[in-house]
Amino acid sequence: MKNSISQIKKALIEKKISVGELYDEYLAKAKSGNSNSFNLVIDRENNISSINDSQNRYDNGNPLPLDGIPLGIKDLFCTKGIRTTASSKILSNFIPNYESFVTQQLLNDGSIFIGKNNCDEFAMGSSNETSYFGPVINPWKNKNTQKDNLVPGGSSGGSAAAVAEGSCVASMGTDTGGSIRQPASLCGIVGLKPTFGSCSRWGIVAFASSLDQAGPLTNCVEDAAYVLNSINKHDFNDSTSSNHQREDYLIDINNSFEKKIKIGIPSDYLEDVSDDISNQIDNTKKALSKHGIEFVDVKFKTTEYALSTYYILAPAEASSNLARYDGIRYGFREDGESLDDIYLNSRTKGFGDEVTRRILIGTYVLSAGYYDAYYRQAQKVRRLIKNDFQRILNKVDFILTPTTPNEAFKIGDKLDPISMYKNDIYTVPTSLAGLPGISIPSGLSKNGLPLGVQFIGNYFEEKSLLQLAALAEKELSFNE
Amino acid sequence: MSDIDIKRISYLAKLKLPPEKEEFYSNSLKDIIKWVDNLKKVDTSKTEPLHNVTEKTVSIRNDEVSKSNSVDDILRNAPERAQNFFKVPKVVE
Repeated sequence: MKNSISQIKKALIEKKISVGELYDEYLAKAKSGNSNSFNLVIDRENNISSINDSQNRYDNGNPLPLDGIPLGIKDLFCTKGIRTTASSKILSNFIPNYESFVTQQLLNDGSIFIGKNNCDEFAMGSSNETSYFGPVINPWKNKNTQKDNLVPGGSSGGSAAAVAEGSCVASMGTDTGGSIRQPASLCGIVGLKPTFGSCSRWGIVAFASSLDQAGPLTNCVEDAAYVLNSINKHDFNDSTSSNHQREDYLIDINNSFEKKIKIGIPSDYLEDVSDDISNQIDNTKKALSKHGIEFVDVKFKTTEYALSTYYILAPAEASSNLARYDGIRYGFREDGESLDDIYLNSRTKGFGDEVTRRILIGTYVLSAGYYDAYYRQAQKVRRLIKNDFQRILNKVDFILTPTTPNEAFKIGDKLDPISMYKNDIYTVPTSLAGLPGISIPSGLSKNGLPLGVQFIGNYFEEKSLLQLAALAEKELSFNE
Repeated sequence: MSDIDIKRISYLAKLKLPPEKEEFYSNSLKDIIKWVDNLKKVDTSKTEPLHNVTEKTVSIRNDEVSKSNSVDDILRNAPERAQNFFKVPKVVE
């Protein structure tokens, strides 16, 4: 088992290891790994003042909440003075002059960044195969086809693989339609997407602004609470950042629930799933029933429209957000004779196939004559999806679903975009509703690959969601 | 669904698709648009569009001046600069 943040902090406090030694240990793994999970690693010299400051705080007996913890950061967060590429050619030379809100909180709490994690280009993908820097390889192997390299999921695939292989303690990811939860599930780790509006989007390279949300990928639920405590704060720089009072997510995380808990299982999600997937739900149900938790069948009315709604709204927002990449102010420029030629050449050469495809879809659904039929209709259906979740969450405290419809697949296996998009069938509806969701490892498939289940809670109720996930984790945990 | 004019869409998106890839994107777009077409059968005549899921009001901050983003910092990432400006080809004759 890998060490948790609280175990590592204990070792640092008891001087069993120094901050520098800890950093070196993870850095060596990050450098020697062949999973391609980092676009960039930061050598000890470049972090030396942070390492020394952190060690001083331990020596003086007043360490910060995440002091000395080596973290991976998805290469979608702007990090001051550190190259930030969104795994795209068009940003391949971009060095931000400011720090994203979320990563600034992590730095304020003493953590040290070990590098920038590979991801799908502009976070558009479910397998990490769209990255300009090449695919990430899942540290797990199918026991029946040991030679095959498998995808880690996406888009936070580098983050998930890095945590799973132990080259960082935890990683910050982003989730637009499942980009934290799906790779966490395929790599056998924990992934939390907080409620939309919890963690500021300021300084995160924008994909679909009404859906994008930052969250942690960690080895255990308690670690997710550690990171959430740091990053979940109101920020004036993000107009959708909620200014509600935040709780301490670590306190009471291991307590049992005071009231009786009821969890809904959507039967419509489980039609046509494989035995591997239905076993995850059955096992979770069995494990939690022992704790007096009641399970009821619930049925959504809007599931069949969720992916269509998402694949109109997300590309529409992306086509607008990605209009800023023009080769003039920052990023990659391909020369041309006129200003217009520079725009056209830089964008055409700078974006990969999947990003180009999504810009085209978005441009089409927003174009004159199609706006009402597609974009506006999708926004209306989004409200129906949100209402549908609210109807269910009036009857139950949480919803339990599989995280993914399948285990990790072979790199290069899914060439058709629609079959790739269907990977997010269980995570996209939650994103559209803006609700928090957490994926935790729930068991292994017949091929010996990790699978996860997703718990969905009500708006801003991450505290009880983490409490439930911690309880389930104790029952379901498996060793590699 | 009407036909998709891939040349027009790519022009609007400021993308210059190589001719040999036009068909690839055109077919891909057609497949996806056909796939999302099921939304048309949903009755939304009484439904308002949803822009922001939490539908909370924006918080107001004090209007205080702070220093950030110096010209040099910003221009450091520019592909081409001339003094304090981004440099582009001549736009007016």
